[in-house]
Amino acid sequence: MNRFALAGAKTIAEAATAASATVATAMTTPPERMGYADLSVVKAGGIDLLDLLKEGLLAPSKLVNLRDVPGLDAVAEEADGLRVGPMVTLASLAAHPLLQERYPALVDAVAGSASPQIRNVATLGGNLLQRPRCWYFRSHAFHCLRKGGGHCFAIQGENQYHAIFNNMPCAIVHPSTTATALVALGATVELKNAAGVTRRLMLEDFFVPLERDLQRENDLAPQEILTAIRLPNLPPGARMAHIKQGEKDSFDWPLADVAVLLDLDPGGNCTRASVFLGAAAPVPHRARAAEAVLTGRRIDEGVAVQAARAALQGATPLSKNGYKLLLFETLVHRAVLKAIV
Amino acid sequence: MFSPTSAMTVETQHPGDDAPANPPLVTIELHVNSAVWTLCVEPRMTLAEALRGPLQLTGTKIACNRGACSACTVWLDGVPICSCMMLATDVGTRSVTTIEGLASGEKLHPVQQAFIDHDALQCGFCAPGMIMSCAALLERSPQPSADDVRAAISGHYCRCGTYPHVIAATLDAAKMRRA
Amino acid sequence: MATNNSIRTETFPSGIASVGLDTVERQIPADEPPPLAPNGELSVIGKSFPRPNGRAKVTGAVRFTVDIKLPGMLHTRVLRSPWPHAVVRTIDTLAAANHPGVRAILTIADPAKPQTATLHYIGEPIAAVAADSIAAAEEALHLIRVEYQALPFVADIDKARDPAAPLVHDDTTAPAGHPSGFPAAAGLPLNGNVRGPAISRRGNVSRGFAEADAIVEAEYSTHVQTHCCLEPHAIVADWRPDGLTVYMSTQFTAGVRDEIAAAFGLPLNRVRVIVDAMGGGFGSKSQLGNYGRFAIELSRQAKAPVQLFLEREEEQMDAGNRPGTWQRLRIGAKHDGSLTAISLVSYGTAGVGLGAGVGNNAEALYSCPNFEGAQHDVFINAGPGCAMRGPGNTPGAFGLEQTIDELAEKLGTDPLRLRDRIDPCPVRREERRIGAERIGWHRRHAPGANSGPVKRGLGMAQSLWGANVQTNAACEVRIMRDGSVEVLSSVQDIGTGIATVLAQTVAEVLGLRPDEITVRIGDTEFPPGGPSYGSRTTASTTPPARTAAWRVQQQLLREAALMLNASVNELIAVEGKILVGSDRSRFLTFRDAAARLRTDRIAAVASRSDDYGGFRRRAGEDAALAQQDLGGVQFAEISVDTEIGIIRVERVVAVQDCGRPMNPRQIESQVQGGVLMGISYALLEERIIDQATGRMVNPNLEQYKLVGPRETPEIDVIVLENYQGRSATDAYGIAEPANIATAPAVANAVYNALGVRLRSLPMTPAAVLAAVGKVPQRS
Repeated sequence: MNRFALAGAKTIAEAATAASATVATAMTTPPERMGYADLSVVKAGGIDLLDLLKEGLLAPSKLVNLRDVPGLDAVAEEADGLRVGPMVTLASLAAHPLLQERYPALVDAVAGSASPQIRNVATLGGNLLQRPRCWYFRSHAFHCLRKGGGHCFAIQGENQYHAIFNNMPCAIVHPSTTATALVALGATVELKNAAGVTRRLMLEDFFVPLERDLQRENDLAPQEILTAIRLPNLPPGARMAHIKQGEKDSFDWPLADVAVLLDLDPGGNCTRASVFLGAAAPVPHRARAAEAVLTGRRIDEGVAVQAARAALQGATPLSKNGYKLLLFETLVHRAVLKAIV
Repeated sequence: MFSPTSAMTVETQHPGDDAPANPPLVTIELHVNSAVWTLCVEPRMTLAEALRGPLQLTGTKIACNRGACSACTVWLDGVPICSCMMLATDVGTRSVTTIEGLASGEKLHPVQQAFIDHDALQCGFCAPGMIMSCAALLERSPQPSADDVRAAISGHYCRCGTYPHVIAATLDAAKMRRA
Repeated sequence: MATNNSIRTETFPSGIASVGLDTVERQIPADEPPPLAPNGELSVIGKSFPRPNGRAKVTGAVRFTVDIKLPGMLHTRVLRSPWPHAVVRTIDTLAAANHPGVRAILTIADPAKPQTATLHYIGEPIAAVAADSIAAAEEALHLIRVEYQALPFVADIDKARDPAAPLVHDDTTAPAGHPSGFPAAAGLPLNGNVRGPAISRRGNVSRGFAEADAIVEAEYSTHVQTHCCLEPHAIVADWRPDGLTVYMSTQFTAGVRDEIAAAFGLPLNRVRVIVDAMGGGFGSKSQLGNYGRFAIELSRQAKAPVQLFLEREEEQMDAGNRPGTWQRLRIGAKHDGSLTAISLVSYGTAGVGLGAGVGNNAEALYSCPNFEGAQHDVFINAGPGCAMRGPGNTPGAFGLEQTIDELAEKLGTDPLRLRDRIDPCPVRREERRIGAERIGWHRRHAPGANSGPVKRGLGMAQSLWGANVQTNAACEVRIMRDGSVEVLSSVQDIGTGIATVLAQTVAEVLGLRPDEITVRIGDTEFPPGGPSYGSRTTASTTPPARTAAWRVQQQLLREAALMLNASVNELIAVEGKILVGSDRSRFLTFRDAAARLRTDRIAAVASRSDDYGGFRRRAGEDAALAQQDLGGVQFAEISVDTEIGIIRVERVVAVQDCGRPMNPRQIESQVQGGVLMGISYALLEERIIDQATGRMVNPNLEQYKLVGPRETPEIDVIVLENYQGRSATDAYGIAEPANIATAPAVANAVYNALGVRLRSLPMTPAAVLAAVGKVPQRS
């Protein structure tokens, strides 16, 4: 790790003003400026940040600590849903009675991520803003496209854990299983900048696809703070499931994860479907064709099979990740059926 | 060893730290095992490094240094965390409990005793962290199932393969504690 | 009991306890203790006493090498090659030397010494810096300027076998092998990157195959596994004018001392090697290693203690690994199952090092008159391999045991029945019987018989491992006048529990409790102990411990005999007393007897005598191979979800033998550990090298995946009591045999579930889904 200062912010405005860079912009700062530029990044739980710092992937001069900014670690009930502060830890989120009651599938996703130790420190905000786990991206030795280099090493290299959709010219997958569940729920995020301007957008739109920018996964700007994640109230007929499949059940990243939200009318027909695939693409991947299959139908085994097949439409697997097609097909199938149980 | 009963100041400045671009050292208080330590540290020092270095509490181990093996597990306000993935300067007033602070004087915590009785350690390098996780589990869940224990230690690696004995020891410790 | 001057004849228990014990007569040295009764008649040995340092381990008080801090101690970081193959053209350490925190710099790849200037793998050391802090050492590394000339490289075993491939070594840089054959034989030819073959032959395989009624042939490949000791490789070297003290996380204190003395021109009595607690080795901490030399040299130069420990990335790239292998097996048999011929061809890679053979399973596990083996090492530009838990035989068993199952199927017989026919070992026969009953082998269905997506399977496999003995091993036992007792040896406890077993051994002789024995080990100031590799620690160390205890007891009994007005032969030691056997009312407490000693302390030192009845063969000057092998049969029950490709090992029954079991619970720990490392090897672990750059992409504990608690099946451990009357304790090792059979047992179970064989490790979801034909071929 390089040397840096740690500054505790007391207000959102103070933190936003101090945050001269996002982690993404800090990582593409030319190396000669590293450690000497006025490069301040925000620290929430610090798990992903420390991982990057220890690998020497960024060298900020200052960390702006959100720990003592009041009000960021609360879960509050609002008229149209729940407002979750970005500093709520994954552990307290998974244990929160309101979430357990209203969004059990989200709780599955949160509780199934990382390890107990990490969940006790990692925050929801940090989880959504974490950088990808691609081993080329995470290694100091590979100056890859996403870090400002000229080349994606994964596409011709070791890509068994990489994207099967939208994987050119960079094959990262978004690492957050919580994000998969949240976008399926229709969550929104709230951002505040140093000028005091607040932006609200769908979480789905907050994530940045390759065609917009290769070097960041989300739309957070320098001098901007993620201040809230809002979960909408679900209609009474809403059914949801999230399934994560890792290579192992002990601490591991997903090979694939799937979130399915179905609104069922009183007759049992699906009036609206959200199907998202995690660890499939550089952003949580919306399986529109699967949603189309499900919408307007009474959900049964046959429909689930069709939807699962449709979910893989447009996939472009790489040399070593073709197995993920079947994996996702199975998970979509199982998640649809799990949702209606 | 320092006496853990009195506050103290430990300098950890390195030669070369006085280069102008270097951020200043900061003085922090760490509440560890019911004692208060005053330290002068670089902001980049992790809690694990602070414990093992200036505090000489070497029972906490660093094995992967990335939060992937949980060998460095300590309690922060009673909750297990990876001390290698937390900056010492970020601990604040929260209290830290390490393996050295788990026993009550000479009397071992039931999980510690059960680890001995069940041979739930071989080389013993993962044992301090593993014990902290299992003891924390019993604090919040006095009658855990085997799956609860697996979940509690699901972030731990033991290369010697003690998991079966760790699970048996923890379930047994829960019984001893209730008895 | 018959005696002459130097030997006497004794009658020992013999056989497998669960089958029924017999006796065997052995001639033994006259100064060795009488035969030890079977465990059932003993009070301490064979019982599950806890570890003497358990309390220190659970309270964090125990000191590992990484915990040691000496006054004025310096810290070291190593500059490592970023290139898989390159020549160091220039190296400039001046700026680093001028860093205010730097105390010494060692240039390892030095253009001034051309034989050191070529780098052969990413992670190979170039220079080492000792400084006041790790941070200062790291900063200094960044100040070292190196100019490289990159050379063509090859990091894949198949590509390296191509005669047109870039050459990793030439005759001057290729490692030479060893006369002992371990890790590889000396004097073999080098063609391109291929060294060998090492040929082993008996009978005539052509004739054997011609006589066969059935022939099976298949190819298997295994990947590179890394040791992943949780404590990294670590050393603190303290060079002083009057001698060198080294604290090291090592599997062999005495061996490291010898290496240091030879490398640095020091007399043995000026080198002391100490290890208290040791955080895992699994073969990778058997030698001094390059890092050990660096730390010592830096300490000599800096005139200060120097600590060096590896970061996890360095562990993964330059601390050894289990070599990857490819093997083709061909086995012929008659209709009745008797084998007519086995042929084996193997190519393995230990990176830039040697020792990638597949062991002696194919040659020695089954009766077969005709055998031919040709094993090759292939060099690639990757970190050197080294011994890892059951080296050779672990990858070898993955191939052989699947091929034997395949043969059974072709012959239309049960895999157990075929092995009963071709395996001459009575111990494994009993192990198969017990294991089959415990796992419920009768439930085994035809391959691929389940109809749903989740398919279940049962499989088994066997292991073969030599019973190694270090003859250069000794123990001292001391009795103090206050009745306290200690046992001393330089042997180290790497987690297997030798300290417990030594305390039990001495306590049994003296009629004391194990917790009354102080165990002082892990220090070359004590009599030399053997290495903790080759599963030989217990076999090498407990016999001299018992002999030394018996000899020192004879001195004590002479005092006691005078007091009790009895002869020494009449006295027995039990429950802290010395009794007259014929009249138990006449006794002294052990403490009272000790109080009569003329001096403050009496002692005896004993060394490991040859096995009674002799060894099968010597293995160098310091070691030998016992007459009998170590066996072990494992059964696995698994399920495969064929829609996601995940294999779950649900249950393992491991039936093992280690001569006399000394401490059942510790043995159970060892076996569980071996099984779990085997499951991890079978399903998860793999060193993955990016072929474009030669760099390992998962040099961590996150993407290099190990089994965790949720992948841990129910593991039944059954250990036979197998008495042969071979030494003062008749105890042998367990750690390696417990690891060898697991992966093939799982693989055979996977075949039973799927009806398709997975012949390549690891058996990942991608591999499973490819095998069941649901995705394109895994590339």
